[in-house]
Amino acid sequence: MSEGCTLPSLCYNVRAMVTKRQLGVIVIALGVLVALGVTIVDFIGAGKWGGFGPLQRIGIGLGSAAIAVGCVLFRLGDRPA
Amino acid sequence: MTPTLSRIFRDLGIVLTLLAVLVYVGYLIVYVVYAVDLFRWPFDYDQGEGFELYDAILYSRGEWPYRDSAAYPFYASNYPPLFHMLIVPLLPVLGPQVLAGRLVSFTATLITGGVIFAIVQRKVGGWFIPLISGLAFLASNYVYQVGPLCRMHMTMVMFETLAVAFIAEFEHPRHGRRNLILGLLMLLCAGYTKQMAVFTVAALLSYVFLRDVKKAIAAGVLLAAVAGAIFWLLNVVTEGQWWINIIQANVNEFDYRQTVFLFGQWFRLHTVFILLAAGYLTYELFWDRLSAYSLWFFFSLGAGALSGKWGAGFGYFTTAVAAACLTSGLALGRLRNVDCRSQLAIRNSQSATRTLLAVLIPLLYLLQAPRMLHMPTSGPVFGSLARALGVADALIEGDCVTFQYHDAMGYTQLGHLLTADDYTAGEEILNYVRTADGPAFSEEAMFSLLTGEPVVTNPTQLLNLYHNGLLDTTEIIERISRQEFGVVIFRAQFYPQPVLDAIGQNYQPVEHLCMNGFYYHILWPRRRLAGSSGLSDSADGLAHASSSVR
Repeated sequence: MSEGCTLPSLCYNVRAMVTKRQLGVIVIALGVLVALGVTIVDFIGAGKWGGFGPLQRIGIGLGSAAIAVGCVLFRLGDRPA
Repeated sequence: MTPTLSRIFRDLGIVLTLLAVLVYVGYLIVYVVYAVDLFRWPFDYDQGEGFELYDAILYSRGEWPYRDSAAYPFYASNYPPLFHMLIVPLLPVLGPQVLAGRLVSFTATLITGGVIFAIVQRKVGGWFIPLISGLAFLASNYVYQVGPLCRMHMTMVMFETLAVAFIAEFEHPRHGRRNLILGLLMLLCAGYTKQMAVFTVAALLSYVFLRDVKKAIAAGVLLAAVAGAIFWLLNVVTEGQWWINIIQANVNEFDYRQTVFLFGQWFRLHTVFILLAAGYLTYELFWDRLSAYSLWFFFSLGAGALSGKWGAGFGYFTTAVAAACLTSGLALGRLRNVDCRSQLAIRNSQSATRTLLAVLIPLLYLLQAPRMLHMPTSGPVFGSLARALGVADALIEGDCVTFQYHDAMGYTQLGHLLTADDYTAGEEILNYVRTADGPAFSEEAMFSLLTGEPVVTNPTQLLNLYHNGLLDTTEIIERISRQEFGVVIFRAQFYPQPVLDAIGQNYQPVEHLCMNGFYYHILWPRRRLAGSSGLSDSADGLAHASSSVR
């Protein structure tokens, strides 16, 4: 950040950087991918556990947490990530 | 706060600061004592050290260690080359001694601690927080145990830390481009030291991406192109053995329970550093801008997540330890400096807060220190200290001896000092190799290297290849059946089951020697025992039968 700048457009390379909102979208997308991935893994026959296994529960937990964090970031708008 | 109270807090802060420095310097002394003890030990301390040295020896001869493990001497390496190449210049000076690799790795840990100090010092100023941040890395149980070994992991962490230092400053107005290129070079070095560096690559490219998308894409493409070209070249010159041994053989079974256990252990041992680093990450994520340091801490957890892989362990958390030590220092520095910036606004409350922080910061470091407690418990200095700390009897049980060593992490095979009995046992094993009438089939390479014998087999790599259906055991079993090997030396018996079965049928235990806390099983070919009835009788008496050969 430049010394003494006050507006984001003066402080950062706005056109090149990623904003909190954009980062939020990326994090939500990753969270959804993880949650979906560990859910559909049973349908394609991967994994050695018969039912909903412990790794899948961990995956769902991490995916949900990522979606929650992404939602908060999304609401933070155009501040630099 | 009254002036008297303020003075008491200030004095208390000074005392706690000096105490914290004393404690962390104490950990450094313990680390140096352990390292020097290992430097004198000529045998493998951790299984695999000798093989890493052997890779360096092969490079010094202009040979590749990526070979067909189905053919004699059934040896191949499963690691990238850089660490071994760094050992090569030391070989003419030190000879084929494992000390060469231990010196490289130990130096790498000191450099890493120094870089952490330098980064924190540059960012937050002062000397206390930077000093403890750097020393904290060397005080970690994990770094202590792995640091002075002839293993490549800590050299990778050094390159990762240097990459973070450079790429964090890629927007520097004068040296931005230079910093980015040097950072990418360090990432390349880290990746060609050990594959685990991929998480730091992801962290730092993400950091550049958040600030300058185009530059991140350009940097990513450049790094991928150079790394890919080297990868392709290595695969061509090794006739495909690079791909088999580095990639295919490293697909191992994963036990998530081991990962969960190690995450818990890592958190328990480094609680204050982790909480501070996580707090700083949260602060930057929602209230400020993400730094390279916070992102590195976050992505390093990915390396930890792989610790459930067969053959992995707590060493996978050393990058996370470095990142936590660095980021926690920045967090405390931020706390202190925010307070300084508010000085003009609220002078009185600021002064009180600063006084409290002068006590709180060293207190946090002191609360963290005993969580990582590890030290020898015998000898005039450490014995007295261990008794004073109440850990003289909280020792670690090896397979055949109680280590005179305490570690807050609980059972560990590393960290203890060697004894005179260990040296005696090592010499006895060497005598078995010297008097054998054929090459040694040893689970550790140093016995062969120290006697000038060929290194035969890399057991864990054979097992990796076997589990992935990549090993043809025909020749190795034929040679075992012909009893071509003069002596077999086992420690963990990490060989493919058909190999162990063949040895069980053709070799017989003659002695079980306790060295470095573990039983080393010495086996002779049955033809030798049959040719000497006296020896056979004594061997039968010594052996625990071939049941140990499983």
